[in-house]
Amino acid sequence: MTVSFAVNGREVQIACDPGRTLLEVLREELSLTGAKDGCGGEGECGACTVLLDGEPVNACLVLVGQVEGRRVETIEGLAPPGGELHPIQRAFVEAGAVQCGYCTPGAVLAARALLSREPDPSEEQIREALAGNLCRCTGYAKMVDAVRRAARELGREA
Amino acid sequence: MKPELGTVGRSEPRKDAREKVTGAARYVADLEAEGALWAAVLRSPHHSARIVSLGTERARRAPEVVAVVTSADVPGQKRYAAILADQPALAVDVVRHKGEPVALLVARTREAARSALGLLEVEYQELPAVLDPVAALEPGAPPVHENGNLLTRYQFTTGDPDAAFAGAEVVLEETFRVQRVAPGALEPEACLARWEGDGSLTLWVSSQKPFEDRRNVAAVLGLPEERVRIVSAVVGGAFGGKEDSGVAVLAGLAAWAARGTVRVVNDRWESFLAHPKRHPAVVRYRLAALRDGTILGVDVLGHLDKGAYASYGPAVAGIFTESLTGAYRIPAVRVDTRLAYTHAPFSGAMRGFGGPQAHFAVESMVDMLAARLELDPLEVRRRNAVRPGDRHYTGVPLDSSARSMERILAELERARKRLRLREAGPGRRAGVGVSLAVQSMGLGAHVPDDSTARLEWLPDGRVVILAGSPDLGQGLAVATEQLAAEALGLPAARVFTAPLDTRRSPDGGVTCASRMTYLTGNALRAAAARLEARLLEGAAELAGREVAELRYQAGEVLLPDGRRLAAGAVASRLAERGARLAAEAVASFAYPPERTPQEYPVGIPHVLHVFCGQVARVEVDPELGTVEVTDVVAVHDVGKAVNPAAVEGQIEGGVAQGLGYALSEDMPLKASGEWVDGFAEYLLPTARDVPRIECVLLEEAEASGPWGAKGVGEMGVAPTAPAVANAIFDAVGVRLTRLPASPEAILSSPGGPPPGERPR
Amino acid sequence: MPSFQLHSPSDLAELTRLLLETEGTVLAGGTDLLPRVRRGRLCPAHLVDAGRLRELRFVRREGPEVVLGALSTHADLSSSPLVRELAPALSEACASVGCPQTRNRGTLGGNIANASPAADGLPPLLVLEATAELRGPGGARAVTLPELLLGPGRTSLRPAEIIERVRFPAPPAPSGQAFQKLGRRNGMAIAVASVAALLVLDERGRIRTARLALGSLAPTARRSPAAEEALRGAEPGEAAFRRAAAAAQADAEPIDDLRASAAHRRRVLEVLVRRALERSLDRAARGRRP
Repeated sequence: MTVSFAVNGREVQIACDPGRTLLEVLREELSLTGAKDGCGGEGECGACTVLLDGEPVNACLVLVGQVEGRRVETIEGLAPPGGELHPIQRAFVEAGAVQCGYCTPGAVLAARALLSREPDPSEEQIREALAGNLCRCTGYAKMVDAVRRAARELGREA
Repeated sequence: MKPELGTVGRSEPRKDAREKVTGAARYVADLEAEGALWAAVLRSPHHSARIVSLGTERARRAPEVVAVVTSADVPGQKRYAAILADQPALAVDVVRHKGEPVALLVARTREAARSALGLLEVEYQELPAVLDPVAALEPGAPPVHENGNLLTRYQFTTGDPDAAFAGAEVVLEETFRVQRVAPGALEPEACLARWEGDGSLTLWVSSQKPFEDRRNVAAVLGLPEERVRIVSAVVGGAFGGKEDSGVAVLAGLAAWAARGTVRVVNDRWESFLAHPKRHPAVVRYRLAALRDGTILGVDVLGHLDKGAYASYGPAVAGIFTESLTGAYRIPAVRVDTRLAYTHAPFSGAMRGFGGPQAHFAVESMVDMLAARLELDPLEVRRRNAVRPGDRHYTGVPLDSSARSMERILAELERARKRLRLREAGPGRRAGVGVSLAVQSMGLGAHVPDDSTARLEWLPDGRVVILAGSPDLGQGLAVATEQLAAEALGLPAARVFTAPLDTRRSPDGGVTCASRMTYLTGNALRAAAARLEARLLEGAAELAGREVAELRYQAGEVLLPDGRRLAAGAVASRLAERGARLAAEAVASFAYPPERTPQEYPVGIPHVLHVFCGQVARVEVDPELGTVEVTDVVAVHDVGKAVNPAAVEGQIEGGVAQGLGYALSEDMPLKASGEWVDGFAEYLLPTARDVPRIECVLLEEAEASGPWGAKGVGEMGVAPTAPAVANAIFDAVGVRLTRLPASPEAILSSPGGPPPGERPR
Repeated sequence: MPSFQLHSPSDLAELTRLLLETEGTVLAGGTDLLPRVRRGRLCPAHLVDAGRLRELRFVRREGPEVVLGALSTHADLSSSPLVRELAPALSEACASVGCPQTRNRGTLGGNIANASPAADGLPPLLVLEATAELRGPGGARAVTLPELLLGPGRTSLRPAEIIERVRFPAPPAPSGQAFQKLGRRNGMAIAVASVAALLVLDERGRIRTARLALGSLAPTARRSPAAEEALRGAEPGEAAFRRAAAAAQADAEPIDDLRASAAHRRRVLEVLVRRALERSLDRAARGRRP
């Protein structure tokens, strides 16, 4: 079976069992390894977060057959390879919010979804947006700072 | 020392941050390996059982199965070690905990490997199991290993505890229980192993101890160490859980058996069951004091739940035992620590290494003493806290380490005062609690504790660090780059860290024990000095000058005629002749005999310590028993914050782990008979559960540390749970003696939330 | 993941047909179903994905009623201005489910059909007296939620039957409703106990209608007739609410589990009932003012 969908703005056709998870397909068929498995595919950690039609979802709980004709964005699509980082990525780096980095792609995408919907979020809104992204390294402190910093920068750009 | 620092003290950005934030960083599961096979592990479903039979024929015959390995097939040592070689690579005759590896199966895909596990035919005879460390030491308890369930016992006495208790004006006693928690690194343990054509093995690991992994893999495969090469992939967190060669050994066996490349990636439940946990503990604490709050003596009996295998248990038991007096000067001490095997998933080196358990007990006792005497808990701490000139109860003098105590107490006082002013939300009760803590640095007396660092100047002008202890995500690389850059007068951007490869990197020892910045930093300073010397020698030769005529400055050699030679140019010329511009140095933890009591077992005592304290503010809902932590202020003496953002990051992460320890994390046995083994039931704090954390970094320079730096890796964790417990007491008058603090305990405690004013 | 065959019908008729032919399980958001499949607790040979049935994802007003498509996600319902205005207990409950990622996938229909005793959406739907409109090989039929929820994970859905829509009357003014949930942590929390309440006041400000539902306190989410009886015609306020809270015990059958003991659940249920009622009253009172 072939599933057709857009990944980071590019149309792809994947021949595979439609019952495979989107996470597996991204990682194994498309070599997009930014989305990670942290909890054994139970949707409990957010390390596999991708944007599906602009909304954050756990790719481990989406079957690839379910994304037919839809738009998937992964962390790899946020900045051109070797190019300038997206303001959210830059904010994470500058705020010291990246330690082991395993949760980072998912958290950055969750933040992106938040800021596209809510350009001036409160701390509570930021924490709510990140509530599905477990981090064991940072205590979330600098991640929240990073999102706030990114919001300011994006606000300036607007 | 230069009067003004160039890069030390600045929050330089991490060089790996870009690859992590773009998804380009390659963790083991991301490494491209053409044709890599997958291994699946058959794991014990029983706490304790004899393996009556293990039939592999059906599995071996299946077309999708490439290889099967059981302990009978293991070519080298059946068991490997952290401290004691008691841990089988694959179970030998018996299984001692649920999740223990029994057999290994290699297939072309992960799914095929997993489903083929069903082709293995195992018959178990279940045996009685013991899951409690106190019960494990009672006569008749089911034996976990052949030599009884008491793995280690430490009994120390200092001064005259009996006299202290006899002469006391107040005696308190309480028993504390702390639970089993998991490191919970977001990246599960993983290893990629490749059997090379020449009969050697290359492994890509996510590990805190690549060199020890190499020793263990070599031993299990019966290979000389030189035939095993370990490369560190990007590590997705560790916290002590990856101070364990389990997955590397399995991957090595799989690659050897399949004569190919095999990936082993733990599922989350496998990580929970088969990798090191924090030791659960039962601590019976007795304390004798005078009415003015002076602590005269303590008498402590501690049981630590080792689980099924030794791992780093004896070392944890050592630090636990040393930590039982906390940050206090206590003249009479009797401690009895019993490390008991049980049939539970084994405990090991998890962050804090015995400190969190001990501190929950001692810091609760100090607050209980204050409550009993109607004294201010900070005052009681101030009265008893160590000062320079005091000795730890083991006899170790605490001088420079303890210099920060006065400032720590002052900062705690300030923070507490400010937090007390905040009003509680409607219907809630606010409370503020404090704690003090001490964390030892290093591996302890008589344990080889070295770190070797190598520096090399490249022709392009950059300096590369080859360090043998991996960055786990905590920022070791950036900190050591800054230290090396400082030593060489270079900007941090010019120094980078080579990926760890046992073929090229020197052995740095395990990344643990809050030892890395200190040791690697010292090694790098020494290596930098040697590198400078080598550079001058090389430059002298090139310029036809004497070394004495040349001067080094910020990456250049100044010649007497005013010309400058770039270090890169010198390196380049040397490279043409096949020589490297490099230098190496070893740094060790010093245990000078006059400061190190010699009568203790190996690993005890520690001679370098860091002190800290935390203040926590909570709001308790007195009707629901729920606890909201609204503020944490963490006051840490780090000696020198090499990279303040990284230091804060360590502390903030440690505090979050401490909050989880205090309030939500637990790995009990469920009614179904299975252990909690997933994030649905093991509740890590989310972004909505951790408040803002204020870090107050004090810098009382440690003379023997690089630019005064000490360690910070583990510090954040130990003070948090007791600060929260003390805050809960302040809020509702309930003294919690178990962790995690449950709403049920808060509501049903005999103290109960009083209807009116809380006791002061 | 254990293997199954995935079917992706493009309309309801095809979905029904596939369910009948394959005896498969409906897949909506997958946030409850797929983890169970992964753990081997559910081994379906066939999964029929309802995701393409866009026509089942909507929120609208039909006269005096609010109608929700079964494939509306928790995110849809928590952000819908219509649901927030007319069924705030439901929007709050949906906002409390899991985390953003799960809310963007988990559906109303899935939440109901999964019939977890702890499902957050169910107590509000019960106090709203929602009916579920089902579609199967035998045609369409409507059932009340209590008729649908039989036990933990069990519904009275017939083979190949799915939930198509959920319908409830917009509560009359002045009324107020609330949802209270207790978890072991703030983020990604499964309810230890939850309560939904709806109060309709009369002209004199007394309670004309009181509805109360309990979650995570019985084999299914359920109404509390005992509490409702205690509130009928009563002067709303602390005294009545305490009586109702105590009365609610009679309708609770909590169990001990990993998250809490039955005793603790009984203790907190009274608190949650009182608070849900207080909140409802407060909202009703605010609604009365011009």
